[in-house]
Amino acid sequence: MQNALLEVRGCKVNLRRMGKGEPLLLLHGAQGLNGEDPGLDALAKHFDVIAPDHPGFGRSEDSELVDDARDLALFYLDLLDALNLDRVHVVGLCIGGWVALEMAVTSSARFNSLVLVNSAGIRLKGVPRADMFVCSEDDLLKLLFARPSAADWLKRWRATPELEDIYDRNRAAAAKLSWSPRLCNPKLDRWLHRIDVPTHIVWGEENRLIPPAYAQALKDLIVGSTVATVPGCAHLLHIEAPNLFAEQVSRFIQRVTS
Amino acid sequence: MKVFLFHLMPYAHLDMGYAGKYRAAWVVLPNTYFDPKKGHELYNRYLDELELAAELGFDGVSVNEHHQNAYGLMPSPIVMAAALSRRVTQAKIAILGSAFCLRQHPLNIAEEHAMIDCITGGRLISGMVRGIGAEYFSTGANPAFSHARFQEAHDLVVQAWTRPGPFAFEGKFYHFDYVNMWPRPYQQPHPPIWAPSTGSVETIEWAAHPARKYTYLQAYSPTQSVVRYLNYYRECAQRMYGYRASSDQIGWSTPVYVSDTDQKAREEAKPHIECLFNRLLRLPFEMLFPPGYLSAKSLKNMRSHKRSVSGQEHTLDSLIEQGIIVCGSPETVRKQFMDTHRLLGFQNLLCLLQFGTLPRDLTEKNIRLFAREVMPALQELTDKEYAGQALHAAE
Repeated sequence: MQNALLEVRGCKVNLRRMGKGEPLLLLHGAQGLNGEDPGLDALAKHFDVIAPDHPGFGRSEDSELVDDARDLALFYLDLLDALNLDRVHVVGLCIGGWVALEMAVTSSARFNSLVLVNSAGIRLKGVPRADMFVCSEDDLLKLLFARPSAADWLKRWRATPELEDIYDRNRAAAAKLSWSPRLCNPKLDRWLHRIDVPTHIVWGEENRLIPPAYAQALKDLIVGSTVATVPGCAHLLHIEAPNLFAEQVSRFIQRVTS
Repeated sequence: MKVFLFHLMPYAHLDMGYAGKYRAAWVVLPNTYFDPKKGHELYNRYLDELELAAELGFDGVSVNEHHQNAYGLMPSPIVMAAALSRRVTQAKIAILGSAFCLRQHPLNIAEEHAMIDCITGGRLISGMVRGIGAEYFSTGANPAFSHARFQEAHDLVVQAWTRPGPFAFEGKFYHFDYVNMWPRPYQQPHPPIWAPSTGSVETIEWAAHPARKYTYLQAYSPTQSVVRYLNYYRECAQRMYGYRASSDQIGWSTPVYVSDTDQKAREEAKPHIECLFNRLLRLPFEMLFPPGYLSAKSLKNMRSHKRSVSGQEHTLDSLIEQGIIVCGSPETVRKQFMDTHRLLGFQNLLCLLQFGTLPRDLTEKNIRLFAREVMPALQELTDKEYAGQALHAAE
């Protein structure tokens, strides 16, 4: 794995790059990446995985240009320019999925395909969501995971003082992007018909932060998209079931590119 | 020294059994716990208490803003200030404070402050606060922009109060083509601005800036924090900005209970003050400090300090011992304030004389006894009694 700082619009972005194959931009979720992400390693067997920390998250600088998910989407279109990447596969987790949707409605010409995993971005009225910010840490872990992998995951964040700081930093950065309206752009659903690239939606069956009804709603809004619901997984399914996550992504991409 | 009666207007009829079912008296506590008929009684009783204080010679009466909770029933302190403005004829009316930055339209609150300033002929003190963390859940305001929005809302409001309109305001968060406030505030250039806080270096440095020189008010704190932060204000003025802060620029806000003897004061205050700290102020860490509300550094300090404010059960004894509350006979209370004044020289004191479930009769007794036996001696205090003054003079 290569770790490098890439300057985009005056902001130094921490970029992980690993594997060989077609370029795949992985946009992380509210919890960020902590350096031990077996789901990414599994993806790197098939793709040239490009996984930045969003501005304000992880080891990336904060950017004055990025106040919300829409800004971040435009920022990533700039990042693709900076990397001289014409077209990429995009995988978006949670908030990263929301950013991918905002990018795709702006310019789907940069996409080869799109995979949304437990994606934020739209609001389904009347479908209650749990709140990741108000709950206690114990309850948060229960929301993020269906399996007992939560304690290990949290332990990795507590491994060093730097990672502890990054954990807090990610929470603040996630709040900045998604506090209100919580985890969505209420007008985004109006424009999802513009997404004209192959799209696959992967959801944890036990996700209470963004319940599986959202997977169906996204499928209905994005023409030709497909859905896979994963039993025994919640919001961080790429951590709970890394191989299954990578398989969902790589099989879908193989299918649509062959 | 100027002495104020400060009221929180708690929902004293709260079924305290709530604590077995809900994590907090804020944000998630269902409003079905609120009985409007009892609310009617309480609001009127609390206004009576503030009016009584004004009649008894307090220099001012004070209200504040909190949202969606049982701890303080004033989502709009301006409504209370307005209700007081025709009955309280001499004393100051201090709104400490309004959370301008929680609003999409801070100008609406600025207008209301200006109205009260005009009605009272310039007796308004305008506090500016960010609101506590829980407020960011209740109002939807984004905690990650809290500091920046606070500054900008302040700039907008002060300009609206002072600049001839109409003018355009072009900020990051606020954009108005026509800022042209009718009425303008009675006091010129604008009502005194105070900055209440439970202890924030950032707030002190901001308030002490020579362009502002706002009164900093330390609230709800153990003696050691009151000492640290009030002295920091003076140091900050001296070292960072090169001027000597006036003692009028600092204040202390604390719950106070006075009775005939120390023993009696403790017995009478105990259940009510413990209710305030253990039930009405029950707030888990995540609600008190939503992500982004504190700077990374402050959050880290806070975390190492205590993961949960609600984790600790307070007792009357521990609260007295730490100096978070002042409780005892008139002599004890008077002495404690005079001693602390000698040490810190604050010229503003805000006394919370009703707290938690403290009932009408004890509250009235507390107000009257404090006004008769304690307050006159405090109102006499000047910089002459402040030991730090002698130190400065000696330098």
